[in-house]
Amino acid sequence: MKIPRFSRKTLCIPYAVFLIFFVIVPMLVIFFYAFTDSNMHLSFNNFVKFFSDPTKLSTIVYSLVIALITTVICLVIAYPVAYILARSTMKRKFVILMLFVLPMWINFVLRVNALRELFNLLSSLDGMAWLAGSNYFKTVFGMVYDFLPFMILPLYTTMLKIDPSLYEASADLGASGFATFTRVTIPLSVPGIMSGVTMVALPSMTNYVVSDMLGNAKVTIIGKFISDYFGNDWHMGSMIALILLIVVFVSTWFTGGFKSEENVRGTSL
Amino acid sequence: MNKKRLGSVALAAAFLLPSLATLGGCGGSDTIVLRVYNWEEYIDEGGKGTFIYDELHELDDEGDPVTDENGNHVHIHSDIVDEDYKAWYETAMGQPLSEEGPRLLDDFCLWYEKTYGQPIRVEYSTFGTNEDMYNEIILGNEYDLLCPSDYMIMKLAAEGRLEKYDESFFDESIPENYYVRNVSPFIADKFENNAGLAIRKDDAGEEIYWKDYAAGYMWGTTGFVYNPAAMDGKLEEFLEECDWEIFTNEQVAGRITAKDNVRDTYFAALGVTYQQEAHNQADSLAALKAQYDAGELTPAAYTEAITRIFNATDDETISLVEPRLMDIKKNIFSFETDTGKADMVAGKIWLNYAWSGDAVYAIDLAESGVDEDGKASETAFLNYYVPKTGTNLFFDGWVMPKGANKQAAQAFVNFLSMPQNAMRNSYYIAYTSVIAGEEQEMLDYADYLYGYYPEDEFEEGEGYEEPVDYDLTYFFYGENYGDDVSPILLPAEPEQATSRQLYAQFPPEEVIARCAVMDYYDKEASERINELWSRVKSETLDAWAIIVIIVTVLVIVALIVYLKFGDKVDFFRAKPKKGYKLVKQVDPDRM
Repeated sequence: MKIPRFSRKTLCIPYAVFLIFFVIVPMLVIFFYAFTDSNMHLSFNNFVKFFSDPTKLSTIVYSLVIALITTVICLVIAYPVAYILARSTMKRKFVILMLFVLPMWINFVLRVNALRELFNLLSSLDGMAWLAGSNYFKTVFGMVYDFLPFMILPLYTTMLKIDPSLYEASADLGASGFATFTRVTIPLSVPGIMSGVTMVALPSMTNYVVSDMLGNAKVTIIGKFISDYFGNDWHMGSMIALILLIVVFVSTWFTGGFKSEENVRGTSL
Repeated sequence: MNKKRLGSVALAAAFLLPSLATLGGCGGSDTIVLRVYNWEEYIDEGGKGTFIYDELHELDDEGDPVTDENGNHVHIHSDIVDEDYKAWYETAMGQPLSEEGPRLLDDFCLWYEKTYGQPIRVEYSTFGTNEDMYNEIILGNEYDLLCPSDYMIMKLAAEGRLEKYDESFFDESIPENYYVRNVSPFIADKFENNAGLAIRKDDAGEEIYWKDYAAGYMWGTTGFVYNPAAMDGKLEEFLEECDWEIFTNEQVAGRITAKDNVRDTYFAALGVTYQQEAHNQADSLAALKAQYDAGELTPAAYTEAITRIFNATDDETISLVEPRLMDIKKNIFSFETDTGKADMVAGKIWLNYAWSGDAVYAIDLAESGVDEDGKASETAFLNYYVPKTGTNLFFDGWVMPKGANKQAAQAFVNFLSMPQNAMRNSYYIAYTSVIAGEEQEMLDYADYLYGYYPEDEFEEGEGYEEPVDYDLTYFFYGENYGDDVSPILLPAEPEQATSRQLYAQFPPEEVIARCAVMDYYDKEASERINELWSRVKSETLDAWAIIVIIVTVLVIVALIVYLKFGDKVDFFRAKPKKGYKLVKQVDPDRM
């Protein structure tokens, strides 16, 4: 019996099928719904309505701000961790890295639920009652908690690839430790920062499980907004989804997410 | 060659898979399939926590069954699941009753095959909201039986998406017609005469009668679950004083929840808006109530006025309700769908706007002394309060979409309407069944669960209170029962009759009188209300702030574009000197 040989083209078929049915077709459907009205006639009404409604624009702005704060906090926490881990000569540093990645093995809804309980417990303590009502704080906290590993890992892999001889050369040439950091480490870790930022900022704009459970559904981010609209008005919901898609596309483009090399790092999880 | 083989393997798989699926189900080729689309957790799903299991197993304080030395369950005496019940079960299903709590859907398959001689399989799926269900129907998903709520039933009927029930379904002489013989006359009257229900017309301009399209399943009211121990025990008093306005009262700020869906929260906001002030209505809710109490309004006129107020969707009303909704949002702890019950039992909040079935669930849970995870609860007792100026009465009913297998669907409705099965469902999901029972079996059920304990069961009479007569005549004889009917009075603890499970499950007639049933929103109203909801749920920035932010973003984008691509675009580069020519630059990175 001849062993069947698969050419590269054949091996692509499963993914191509997946891509067509679960990415391209849904996207076209969203596009179709966004530019039709409930009688399925061509209509730019939703587009006009979106940009003339302060509520919808505000929600986008709020989501962007929440995403921005989340990303900055993640970056501030993750960068030193990744730096220390990448440069340390510890024998078992993968254990520490594991500790950061380990929570991702547990379903994230469960983790958010656990965090909710933790906040409940804390807010029942004396002097912590303010916690119960601070929905935005809890939402951002939950987002940071959730997406921190997505920031650490790309940073870590990028920094691991920096040739140590560059540090030595920098020291040989008389640069101080700080100068080495700012002039060698940071520029060389930019690809890692970029993919980390992309992987944190984008989901934190739409992950409304966090804002519902920790923000008591009093915080509305764009993902929840879309979901609410899909209950009653698919056309407006599609339009908002489409606009979000464009925002994401543009920001990915500017952060260089479409360059092949950096992209690979992001998916190295 | 290879391609061919791969293709044939794929084809073989494609043919094999569906046949495997059929093998997995029960029955052969002549098996009927009944596709049922119901709410989540809205039918007896068997096992622990079911009526039959709980009735036959003594549970200890931890909720585990008590066993003897040999590990066998200790059987206790049950008033309802007795030898008669077991005998009935064996006759109906053709096999002895399993003490582990059978699934109702499995029982249906047994019963159907025994009764109609044909095997049946139920394809059961669930939805979370009426709107989700509606979308599924619009998308062309086919079912035989759906369980929407009142307003959605009417919407589907008015849009001509439903099959009518057969004439024979209402023939009491047919032994299998359990629904028509067991349904509460109170519910049947509402469905038959559209009493107090929204009346719509179909395309032909004919008035739609509920009875033609829907058979009832569960019903209830909305109200507040509250913790009577809160506010130093003054919450109950305070609640009665504020009524709907409790939603915006600062004394309960952060201690009250609203529903995370527009229908229920808009309804509540209407209550807040119209409780004291008439605004664009003829009278306020409180004034209407006073007139009704004084006998100046007939019950029908009262219901009609309340129904009009709670279904108002005109622009003026919306503009009045919007600031109230904002106040509610500011005052509440959370918008919730599910978490309210746990938060109540944990003692985190004092008030939870809830459907009566959920209220019963929360009250039961608090009473058991443990929360959902089995931890000791902070709250010992919870009560239920129905706003006294008017509230919502809801029904969930079975309807058949166009093209349904009507025979099997109606058989399913009839099966669920046997009082023995209605009890099981009602116990499992905590909502109130529309079934009263030919022999008033549901009265036995209510008595068994919530009736008073005889005096001799109290140690030296400690904690014993004189029972009060709880009048349920309306449920068993209809609202307009005559003088010849001897009233049905259930002796109950005073607390059960005014604020606990019995009151929530079987509201007294005076509560029913002040209830409005929701109507569906037409297209324009629906759009207005949805926009309102999105404004309420989101924070809206001032126009200038949005402009500033958008301009800033644009400037930043332009800056990035300039920095990144500036040197590649001729426009940004210095003009070449005279005599020189600009050549295409090669990107050094790409070399």
